Amino acid sequence: MGEFVGVAHFRALIAAFAVALLAATLSAHEIGTTQVTAHFQRNHTYSIDVVTAPQSLINKVEAAAHQKRSPQLTPAQQQQRLQSFARDLAGSADIRFDDRRMMPQVAVAPIVIPSDPLQPSFVTIRFTGEIPPHARTFSWQWGLTYSAYALALANEGHGDPVRQWIEGDARSTPFALAKEVIPPTRMQTALQYLQLGFTHIVPYGVDHILFVLGLFLLTTKKKQILAQVTAFTIAHSITLALTIYGVVSLPSRIVEPAIALSIAYVAIENMATNKLHPWRIAVVFCFGLLHGMGFAGVLRELGLPRSQFLEALVAFNVGVEAGQLTVIAAATLLIAHWHQEKAWYRGRFVVPASALIALTGLIWTVQRLMA
Amino acid sequence: MIRPFLLLALVASTASAHDFWLEPSTFRPHAGDTVAIGLRVGQDFVGDPVPRSSASIESFVIRDAAGERAIGGMENRDPAGVVKIERDGGAVVAYRSKPSSVQLAPEKFESYLRDEGLERIIAMRKQRGDSAKPGNEIFSRCAKLLLNSSKSFGKSFSKPLGLRYELVPLTDPASDALTVRALYESKPLPGSLVVAMFRDDVDVRLEARTDRDGRVTFRLPQRGVWLLKSVQMIPAPAASGAEWESLWASLTFER
Repeated sequence: MGEFVGVAHFRALIAAFAVALLAATLSAHEIGTTQVTAHFQRNHTYSIDVVTAPQSLINKVEAAAHQKRSPQLTPAQQQQRLQSFARDLAGSADIRFDDRRMMPQVAVAPIVIPSDPLQPSFVTIRFTGEIPPHARTFSWQWGLTYSAYALALANEGHGDPVRQWIEGDARSTPFALAKEVIPPTRMQTALQYLQLGFTHIVPYGVDHILFVLGLFLLTTKKKQILAQVTAFTIAHSITLALTIYGVVSLPSRIVEPAIALSIAYVAIENMATNKLHPWRIAVVFCFGLLHGMGFAGVLRELGLPRSQFLEALVAFNVGVEAGQLTVIAAATLLIAHWHQEKAWYRGRFVVPASALIALTGLIWTVQRLMA
Repeated sequence: MIRPFLLLALVASTASAHDFWLEPSTFRPHAGDTVAIGLRVGQDFVGDPVPRSSASIESFVIRDAAGERAIGGMENRDPAGVVKIERDGGAVVAYRSKPSSVQLAPEKFESYLRDEGLERIIAMRKQRGDSAKPGNEIFSRCAKLLLNSSKSFGKSFSKPLGLRYELVPLTDPASDALTVRALYESKPLPGSLVVAMFRDDVDVRLEARTDRDGRVTFRLPQRGVWLLKSVQMIPAPAASGAEWESLWASLTFER
């Protein structure tokens, strides 16, 4: 449901509802021209389109407020009048998730004037908002109609809409929301983003894995490995948050080659020395700042839930840390723990592995610069 | 700016039964003009368009100096009827619907009976011990519309069209004092509440009961479009399955 309803779509709706008219002959109210369609989306938002007669709607709002009734207005005047009623229209829609009433945002689409002069114009009023967490059902009531109308309800990706006939201002029967459209709880969000952060390192973040291995291969001393990883973690946490909140920004055409170059750098230094020089911590910290921007780019693509932004951000970062620690734990358990004291460990493992990592980092640097 | 609570109040207070009337594209057509006739359902003379539905129409006719003829229209479309005016002068449009059924909760039913001046039905329900029971009724519409090419309506309006319940003007609707007669099955209906509403101001609402000859007179203060309406209720035929039958008469005109 992107665009507001157009003439062709409206005619298709009319045709669909004409069939339903037969079923509605038992309706206590006359059937009017109003039609309502409610969509529940996987991005945890709802969108309700009310297609109705603009002049009638204006007069109903005026009557409710005991205002002087507008005579027949031109479409431009109707548009202006309806825009001025947006707040009141929001109040006229009783939108409930379970028993909790939600105040929607309201948009008034441009009035559609069919080319056939005998056809009346119509307007779409769109009510939108976020589906609250824990919601199970939706119900709808609209005070600005006196006739029976069809209400179509659809969960995104769940096939054809379900239709209900609503008698004037009566409340619809509860509609069951699909699992996919209901926002996750805070715990579910935290677990989801924790997993996303972790899998962004293991197995999908090969460049980050190589960088962490580069930190790991410098030395066999646990404290020195921990010092590097801590500097890296603090740095990328800072830029991840600052980039997500829009405080800092660097284009990915700079960030991505720089990340690749940072991999090459730590690996080359590993080949030259096995001592933790003070500048190494500073350099790792600076590289951490770059990697944080890279994580932010990925997180932006994944999307963060607006209502649980901070929880998701923190959980993603914790997931990234867990991924890094897993890489270090795996490297320790697979080789370092058993062989790091042996004479050949540096010459036959650290140096060739670092060379391979450096070569990979350099190739990626060139590829990313050329991309 | 209207404050939202007004509309919230509207959600809660909308009447359970609504008026029904006819609205033309013009009240002053001349010979050769095509007039679109819209069906409207609503309250306070503010209504929703009702598309044409053949399944609901008992009759939909215009009577003018050329005689009486059916009004055509496209199915499921608003306006429900389109008619060409053959001669200058007055014309009367009449719409009669087939009955529909409705069941209302006891409080809602009695509230609507009070609104429409049908206290005698409330008394009958009480007498029968039915006050706490839901109201089961069938209802149908008897709507009329006056068209005229000149300011004076002449005599065209005062002849009944034979609707089961009908409001018939006895004086020229253009005059300041309008007398109408409520006819139920062609006989004057005394004691019936008739309400007059002015289209341009929701707060202008006049009410009076018909006298023993079924007549009621209104002094209409404003020039413009008016709606007169009245509801007659009788015991429903046994075959309908309902207890009550209501007939909704309306008369729309511009003076």
